[in-house]
This record gives sequence, structure tokens and C-alpha cells, in this order.
Amino acid sequence: MAGRGVRPPAGQPRRSSLTTQVRWMPVPSERMADQATFADDAMQYAKQLYAAAMRMTRNPADAEDLVQETYLKAYRAYDTFTAGTNLKAWLYRILTNTYINKYRKAARRPDEVELGDVEDLYMYRRLGSEESADAARTTEDRVLDGLVESDIKRAVESLPENFRIPVLLADLEGLSYQEIADILEIPIGTVMSRLHRGRKAMQKALWEFASKRGLLPENAERP
Amino acid sequence: MTNNEDCVDVGAGNCDDALARLYEYLDNEMDDATAEGIRSHLDGCGGCHDRFDFERRLKVVVKQRLEEDVPQQFIAKLRHALEEEAARH
Repeated sequence: MAGRGVRPPAGQPRRSSLTTQVRWMPVPSERMADQATFADDAMQYAKQLYAAAMRMTRNPADAEDLVQETYLKAYRAYDTFTAGTNLKAWLYRILTNTYINKYRKAARRPDEVELGDVEDLYMYRRLGSEESADAARTTEDRVLDGLVESDIKRAVESLPENFRIPVLLADLEGLSYQEIADILEIPIGTVMSRLHRGRKAMQKALWEFASKRGLLPENAERP
Repeated sequence: MTNNEDCVDVGAGNCDDALARLYEYLDNEMDDATAEGIRSHLDGCGGCHDRFDFERRLKVVVKQRLEEDVPQQFIAKLRHALEEEAARH
């Protein structure tokens, strides 16, 4: 429920469709949030927003700017936020819109990038067959334990933006498909398809890191 | 699907149906009855169980290792920026 009582962040064009307009209008019967409590309400999400911002912008200075801009916009618009609704999703919506408006243009990437087709269960299929369940488990553990933070972060960062943002919102933040659909203003089916393809592409990148680190079993399929 | 040779179609639904909904299941995006059908399939099918389990563990690893330590200096700066913004009005 990111939408109700939420106004688009400053600088965002209002959508023309009636339903979208209605969604953004405050609901009179419900309590509006109080700006005086904003810091107390919202600061608990700063760590999570910062982690998402790091993976979006790929560097600490831009991540800090992005989170700060998000909090200032949210503060200014806080009287339009309906108290008791989904504050976390609302903050993510502002963060994502700010990122897209501010940084995507700078990156000069096309809006929609396609990913090559990657098989389902990309890593699992390549782990190779082991004699026993215990041996298989050992192999899986070696790969999963051996992939370090920078491998996972670089694998996510390697995804084109239209796949990276849904993957971050789902896998890092644990937002629901509906919340992600509301934040990105795309249909829920598109969220599912981008998550599916984004995760497969991430696995392909992780497999390459696992191979470079010598984590793969003898009989595994090399990248 | 290919590479399902160690799967047998048991429980509710078959392997292809279960695997097609793997992410919805792991992301808790299913109604209880559908999730119960998948669980029933996984209970009876070791191949699918292992696949789901690997994907579940990978998801946990990804989340854990994407976390960031936010610099305390930045948190202080953020609070200060909000106080300044409040003072301006």
C-alpha cells in the first residue's frame, strides 16, 4: 500500500489517469502524518535505504547524497503521508524516483536494457552431481559460503537498472511484489518477470566469481 | 524443463508446475492453499526439494551480504540536515 495518501515526490510529473490521481489524493478521514515526528518515524530505515542507494549509485558519496535528498523530500511532503500506512514503501518510492530522475540521465544508459537468456536454476544445475546428498550439500555450502560480500554486490551491480532495482527491492529489502509494482509504477507481472530474469543473470555472474575463487567442484561446468 | 531426471511427479502437481512457481513460493507471494500444494510436492520429491532449498539458501546469502554498515557520521549529518530544514519553516 504505497500509493494511498501519497503525493509524487517534488519534480515528478503528475500522471494524467484518473485512477492514479485519486490514489495520490489524501484520504480526509485518515490522520495525516506530523512533520514533528518525521525523524523519529523515518530514521529507522536509513540503514536499509543507504544499502539500496549504494547498490543503485555504486559509490558512497552519491549514496549519501541520494539518501539525504530522499529524506528531505519526504520531510517536506510528510503532511501528505497518511499515518499508519506503509512508510517504508513510501520512502523507497521517493528514493527510487529520485535515483531514476537524477542519476539515470547522467549514466546515459537506455531506459530498457534486455538481458540475454539465462537458464533457470543456473547455479544449481552447474554444481555437478555428487555421489551422496552429504557430498552435494558440502559442495553447495562451499560455494555459498565462499562468495564474499564484494562478489554479491558486484553481481547485483552488474545488472541493468530495470532488473537491478526490482532485485534490490525484493532481495535486500524484502518488499512484496505489489509494493515493488507501486514503487516502480509497472504491472505486477512485469515485476515478477524482471525479478526472475534479474536473479538468473545475477546467478550467472555469481558463478563466474565462484569459478575465479576456485570454489567449484572438479566436475562442475565452468563458465 | 530439462535436467529433472531425479524428479518424480508426486504430491500435489508436478515438478514443472512447482519449479515454475519457485520464486513466488520463496518470496511468500502465494495463498496458503497453493503454498501447501507446493510443500506437499516438495515433501515427496527430493529433486525439487533440493532445488528449492538451494535457491532459498542463496536468497539468504544474497540478503546478508548486501547489507551495508551505514557510516555513523552520515547518520549524524542526515539528522542535522533534517533539523536545519525544520528550522527554516
